[in-house]
Order: sequence, then structure tokens, then C-alpha cells
Amino acid sequence: MKEMFSLAFGQLIRKKLRVFLIVLGIAIGVAAVIGVTSLGEGLRIQAVNHIKASHDLTIIEVSAGLDKGMILLTDSKINDIRKTEHVVLAAQYVKDPYVTMNKTYLTFKGVTKDYKHVQNLQLEKGEWFQEKTNQVVLGRDAAEKLSKIENIKPGDELTVKLRLYGEEGRPRDKTAVFRIVGVMRPTGGEHDNQVMLDINKAREMDEKEAYDGAFVKVDDPAFTSSVRAKIERLGLKGYSAQDEIDAVNKLMTAITLVLGFFSGISLLVGALMIVNTMTISVYERTKEIGLSKALGASDLDIMKMFLAECLIIGIMAGILGILLGSAFSMVIDILGKPFLVSQLGEMGEGLQYTSITAITPSLLAAGFVISLVLSIVAGLYPARRAAKLNPLEALRQI
Amino acid sequence: MMVETKDLTKYYSPGKEKVVALEGVNLTIEEGEFIALVGPSGSGKSTLLYILGCIDAPSRGEVYLDSTKVEFKNSSSLVLLRRKLIGFVFQTFNLMPAMTAVQNIEYPMYFNKTPGIKRRERATMLLESVGLGNRNSHLPSELSGGEQQRVAIARALANDPVLILADEPTGNLDSKTGKTILGMMKRLNKEEGKTVIMVTHDPDVAHTADRAIRILDGRIQ
Repeated sequence: MKEMFSLAFGQLIRKKLRVFLIVLGIAIGVAAVIGVTSLGEGLRIQAVNHIKASHDLTIIEVSAGLDKGMILLTDSKINDIRKTEHVVLAAQYVKDPYVTMNKTYLTFKGVTKDYKHVQNLQLEKGEWFQEKTNQVVLGRDAAEKLSKIENIKPGDELTVKLRLYGEEGRPRDKTAVFRIVGVMRPTGGEHDNQVMLDINKAREMDEKEAYDGAFVKVDDPAFTSSVRAKIERLGLKGYSAQDEIDAVNKLMTAITLVLGFFSGISLLVGALMIVNTMTISVYERTKEIGLSKALGASDLDIMKMFLAECLIIGIMAGILGILLGSAFSMVIDILGKPFLVSQLGEMGEGLQYTSITAITPSLLAAGFVISLVLSIVAGLYPARRAAKLNPLEALRQI
Repeated sequence: MMVETKDLTKYYSPGKEKVVALEGVNLTIEEGEFIALVGPSGSGKSTLLYILGCIDAPSRGEVYLDSTKVEFKNSSSLVLLRRKLIGFVFQTFNLMPAMTAVQNIEYPMYFNKTPGIKRRERATMLLESVGLGNRNSHLPSELSGGEQQRVAIARALANDPVLILADEPTGNLDSKTGKTILGMMKRLNKEEGKTVIMVTHDPDVAHTADRAIRILDGRIQ
């Protein structure tokens, strides 16, 4: 084996420039694949981190199931969920559109105490509502709207109507008076426009037989998907930020594959270079091949000798490709980042301090393996051709 | 019996016409003989040599080497015969240009799976035996024609074959150097007991052989 490679190396040394050019050709192909893939990988990691930073991965959003007919989120379902392993708490809620006397529409959300913890809601002023009272807490935007349009401030009373529909679809309005006791800090999400009240009071108002949804918190993100699967087995619908991460991963993998495929075309060119160069080499060395056979080489020996040369080319191209690919990836990062940051605006801000490309050991290993496999496969035809040469005819060549 | 042929016939058909290179050659060569194959060019003597060397196949007839029938259809058995029984010396030396003198001698042993250390030892010894002990790391291009042919003779002995086949080994050398090479071939025959078959068209060279086999138009005269 060792001798095989030293023989092959001896052959390659004779044609330094030619070998260097093929190695460079394949290395550029490998580098293109590594560079492009590292960009896809980098963007994927960025997107996933972005989701992780802005979402709590331990939270599962549960709503009524529709797959097997309407499965309502009832108290017994909530209890089933609470009994599931790794579930810390389940915070159910109801959500209804209320309207003030001056026709300002507001979403009222009837919630439990746990809801505040699950959603990490903080108060800006005032206090949280007491259970079983008419007290409400406003989201920041809802508070601004009320104060601007209707001049209703925290501490004031708030009179609102809820329209219910009877069995024959006949509307029926219920009026209630609430007292505003607090305002929440802005969350950047739906809660800014909502009004929180006690869930029992809310259910008294809307007379619903089930909840509109629930937030379930698990003790560790690692169990989110198993708990979610359990919830779905109850017939309910579950959603977690992991879904978004999965979607991003899926999309980015597809994009990276497509880009990698197209940059891989340069690898095809490299492979054709090997086929071409090695075939020429077989012609040039026809006499040597015939001589080797006369001296006792079998077809397999000849084939191995040529494949060993291809393997050495592949190893060199793989190493050079890894180096060039890493450099290419750095260039993409340096040149591409300012562009991406300027295009993405606010979303791109986070990118400024990180890298938009990511080189993983497995990516580099893949680049190396691709180079090896490609070199061997491209060498098969010339090697076979060399092995099949008729020794006598080969020897007679001058 | 070292070499025996029965009704050995070889023809080529490059175009429509059939060209006969050998026709019905019956030949017996005993172990330890020094044979000169003589005849004008195109007579078929080289064809005979390459068939005996298992790198060409006859159209008809049989060849026995070392009392064993050669199966020309079985390429792996041909490879083994070339490795174990036969050593070749060519007119144009045919050394591997990228290899040093020692590496050239090692080359056939490499195919014969001789272990590396033993190979190097034997190659060095063989190079010394042809008087080139100080040339082991020289490339063929750095050696004279006579020196190259001496390396080639050492290479032919690498796997200790019983049969040495030489195709006009002195043809590309001046007469003085040719004599030296011829002397070496004789010594192989006399001192080491190798059976030597040498193609030549030089009557003087043929004269030094134990026996000359003349071939004309593919037939033994």
C-alpha cells in the first residue's frame, strides 16, 4: 500500500504543473460548495437564534382541535394536560371582542393567575386584578387608545358591551362595568392591545362552554415536542416556537441544497478535468504500462496505480479546497454582511456582531470526502482503460 | 524440459488479408540452454519470443513452460507466469524513466509481493552484481546505454526467474558494450543456470549461443 502511493507520488511529481492545475480546479469546486453551504448554514443559525431569543421554547400554545371534528378545550382536557409529565403549568384563557359605549373595540382576555407567569407579563403602573372582581388590567396600546379617544384613565370605570348570539342567531348585548386597576409594560406582542380580566368573570360574560386556548409550560425545552405530541393525542392543536425553528431549518436546508448543487457544477468540471488529464496520461504512459505488465503487473495492479494517483490528487484537492473554502466563507462574511445588514434594517442589527457564515467540522469533512470520492470516480474510466491495454501493443509503441 | 511448443501458429489480420507470423512451430528447449533465435526482420522471431513470454497469445497450438501447459485464456495465470518464471530484457532497455536504478530493479518484485526490506536488499545486491553498485540512485536518463542495459538485466533477475527472454539486447549498443552485455548473458546461463532465449540478427552473436534456431517466414528452418 505504502509503495503504491510512493510510486503514484513519483508519477505525479513528474507533471507538477498539470497536477497542480487539476488539484486547483477541484479545490475551487470544493471551496465553492463549502463557501455557499457555510452561508446557508450561517443564515440558518442566525434565524434559529433569532427565534430562540424572542420565543420561550418551553411554552406550547394549545387550541381546540379540528382534525377529528371539533375537540373543545374543556376543563377536563386542561386537567389531562396538567397531569402530563414535565408540564409545569397550564394557563387557559377565553378571548372576546368587547366594544365601549363610544365604539372603541377592545379584545378582552379572561385569564388565570398562571397566565401572567407563563407570558411573563409585567405591570407598568397600578396592580394586577383581584380574582372574581370587575377589575381589569390594560395593555399599553389599549391604555393609550382609551385615554386618547375616550379620556378614560387607570382608576376610572370602563363600561363595555359584549354581543352574544342566541340559538337562532339573534344578537343579544350584555353590558358590564369594569374598573381599570393597572397598565402592563409593552411586550411587543398581542398583549399590548388587550385587556386582561379574571377568567371566571369573563366566562360569566361570554357563557362559553370551553376555553379559547391555553399556554402550557414544560420544565425543559427538550420535552416540548414530546409533551406537544401528548397534547395532540388528546385531539387538541399544539404549537410551539420549535415549529418555526423546524420550518426555518427545513427551508434553509432546501435553499442550501439547491445552492450547493449549483456550486457543485464546478466540481463536475473538476471531475472532467481529471478524466481528461488521466486519459492523456494513460496514452503518454502506454509503453510504461505495457512494460509493467511484462514485468508481472496484473490488470488490478495497473488500475490500483492509477487510482492511487487519483486518490493523492483528491487528498491534495480536498485539503486545498478546505483552505480555499474557509477563505471564501470569510470573504462572503466580510463582503456580504454589510449588504445584508443594510437590506434587513432592524432585523439585521443583530448580524453586525456575529458571522453570517458558519463553517462546521462536518461541512469541512464533507468537502474533503466529496473531493476524494470525485477523484476516485473520475479516475475509474482512465484507470480501467490503462488496465485493459494489450501489453504487447503497448510495448511496441515508441 | 524448459520450453516446448506444439504446432504453434500465429496470424494477424490487420485488413482483409491474413498475415502469417508463425506457422506450425514445434520446438523443444532444455533447461540451462542458451538459445539464439535468428532470422531476418519480419520472420516471426520476436512474435515467438513474446508468445513464450506470455505477453502475446498464439492463434493455434500449445506452449509448455517448465513442463506446464500455458493457458493463454486465463489472464491471471499468465500474470503469475510472467512474475515467477520469466525475466525480460529489451532492445531499448525500457527502464521506468521516473525511477532510480534500484527502484527499477525493485519494480518486478513489487508486483511479486516481495516485502519492502528484502526487495531493497536484493535490488542493491543485483545492481552490484552487474557492476553498478555506485549508481543505485541514478535515474535512467543519467546512465549510458550500456549501463541502462545492465540495470535491465539486473531487473530481469529480480524475481529469480528460470527463463530469461532477450529481444536483441545488444541491438542498440556499440559493439564493445554489446560484447560486455553478451558476456553477462552468458554468465547468467553458465553460472546461474538460467535458460536464455535471445532474439538477434547478428550472426556473430548467434555464434556464441549453444544452439541457434533459425526462423524464416514463420517456420523453423
